[in-house]
Amino acid sequence: MILAARNAAALAAAFLFVAAAALGADIEAGRKKAETICAACHGAEGESTNPAVPSLSGQPAQFIATQLFMFREGNRKDEQMTPMAKPLSNAEMNNLAAYFAAQKPGPPRHQSKPENVAAGPALAKKFNCSQCHGPQLMGQQHIPRLAGQRYEYVRTQLLGFKAQKRFDMDGNMTAAAQLLSPEDIEILADYVAGLGAQ
Amino acid sequence: MKSVVAVAISAAFAVPALAQTPAAPPSWQQGKPAAEANSTLHPFAPHMTGRDAKELPISTLKVPAGFKVEVWADGVPEARSLALGDKGTVFVSNRNGKNVYAVVTKDGKREVKTLLTGLDAPNGIAFSKGTLFVAERGRITRYDGIEDKLDSPGEGKVVIDNLDPNRAAGHFWKYLVMGPDGKLYFNIGAPGNIVLPSYMEASVMRVDPNKGTLETVALGVRNSVGMDFNPKTKDLWFTNHGRDWLGDDKPNDTLHRVSLKGPVPNFGYPFCHQGDIADPEFGKHRSCAEFAKPAQKLGTHIAPLGMKFYHGKMFPAEYQNNIFIAMHGSWNRSTKQGYNVMRVKVDEKGNASKPMPFLTGFLQDEKADPPMWGRPVDVLVMKDGSMLVSDDYNGIIYRISYSGKK
Repeated sequence: MILAARNAAALAAAFLFVAAAALGADIEAGRKKAETICAACHGAEGESTNPAVPSLSGQPAQFIATQLFMFREGNRKDEQMTPMAKPLSNAEMNNLAAYFAAQKPGPPRHQSKPENVAAGPALAKKFNCSQCHGPQLMGQQHIPRLAGQRYEYVRTQLLGFKAQKRFDMDGNMTAAAQLLSPEDIEILADYVAGLGAQ
Repeated sequence: MKSVVAVAISAAFAVPALAQTPAAPPSWQQGKPAAEANSTLHPFAPHMTGRDAKELPISTLKVPAGFKVEVWADGVPEARSLALGDKGTVFVSNRNGKNVYAVVTKDGKREVKTLLTGLDAPNGIAFSKGTLFVAERGRITRYDGIEDKLDSPGEGKVVIDNLDPNRAAGHFWKYLVMGPDGKLYFNIGAPGNIVLPSYMEASVMRVDPNKGTLETVALGVRNSVGMDFNPKTKDLWFTNHGRDWLGDDKPNDTLHRVSLKGPVPNFGYPFCHQGDIADPEFGKHRSCAEFAKPAQKLGTHIAPLGMKFYHGKMFPAEYQNNIFIAMHGSWNRSTKQGYNVMRVKVDEKGNASKPMPFLTGFLQDEKADPPMWGRPVDVLVMKDGSMLVSDDYNGIIYRISYSGKK
């Protein structure tokens, strides 16, 4: 079963790679750009070593490109990311997105507390996380993968959505976060950060 | 003793009830029945950075014999509504983005200028007598003499404000058209999939841009994101999106006709859909017989957006006074349909035919996720009679022309 799931993930990754290549986004150009401007914070091949900075490896390409666009246009604001996105063209964003989407995510760098591993799945269902982020929280299209995302980053985003200060394309995350207690946020962030790619 | 029992009972009921209170779902899932709890259907979001036309299967697009479809402009992020200036500028709006773009043609080359920035869901645009009007989420503004100021448009002047005081998730974006009466027509969508709207919601309204007078044009309209006037009869026609989560085969999205001389019609939302389906939850309160009927059913969940009466000189006579409608969906359907431009014939009496496909080929696999590679949003008839079609999924505008026999 686990083997089958791994094969499926490998197939999915292969498909992502082929899809991105077929669409003509330049992964090699994306790699060069990423090494110049992204790697210092997001880590080599998008594997972040800083719990406050998101990993980008294996994230859906459409999610990465959309967020870069929103940083550049000023919809989403961040001291570090706004100036980084400012000079990027749409084509450069698409190349970066294709490159990061094609990187295989490594094992999670976070060890979840056993009690949160136990409580997490029910909370993710109750608060509708899995409705958009997928049953394994792997993300899809413009929606990010949560499985294995860095703990502090996820926590900060959820607190931002709850405070209605985090950019939100369609209002869904802001609405969803209003129902989360600070404890829920702790549990969910700790739980998803320890999940491996499935 | 009695009071102790009462407290014990209420505690026994209250605690589990609180613990089981379900979290509110995302707004697009509102009204989803328990039986559909495991449905994986979801709306699609545009590629905000656009996709290069060279990377897309443009050659698979189909139009009727004698017609030709080609890429007119790419690199227009999230190309939504279209409007044509007197001097040939094509204005293009955003919904998730904050911008309005101006596409100008110089020496046969097209240049995409970012015209307006920092707006709040500026989906609605209309051009009239030198002025560009922009409908944002909560206000309508005007930019006078815009075609002479494409490099420095300045700040817009407010026509009307406070149209979205609640800022609810739901249908907050607006479509905008200029009426033959000099008034601006726009929608105020329902603030969710299937909810009881409050005052002014789920309506079509109009505002006099000179006086600011606000009037209701139609009620019981879940969300209209496409309108035009019949140039012959001056009636208002508009498209409307039916509710989600009633299954693959109901309800239809609809086309509506409103005579501006008659009383304000109510088309039934949230009580009645497509004129003849009572809502499972709200239907018990009102009868479908009370409400005005749509002019035509367009297909279930097909998401009709922009529409235009064709009265250009290029297409054959058969296409005169046809309504061309951009179908942006479906997503709320296990077998997808639409993702095309359809046409509806309108006869002398104002009767609308069933929709017929005109531009197809975006829908690749009706069971796939996503099922399409492009999504039509709006149509625009150019001065030469050719037609532009916007595609927000890719940030591309297509041109359809005719060179066959007339």
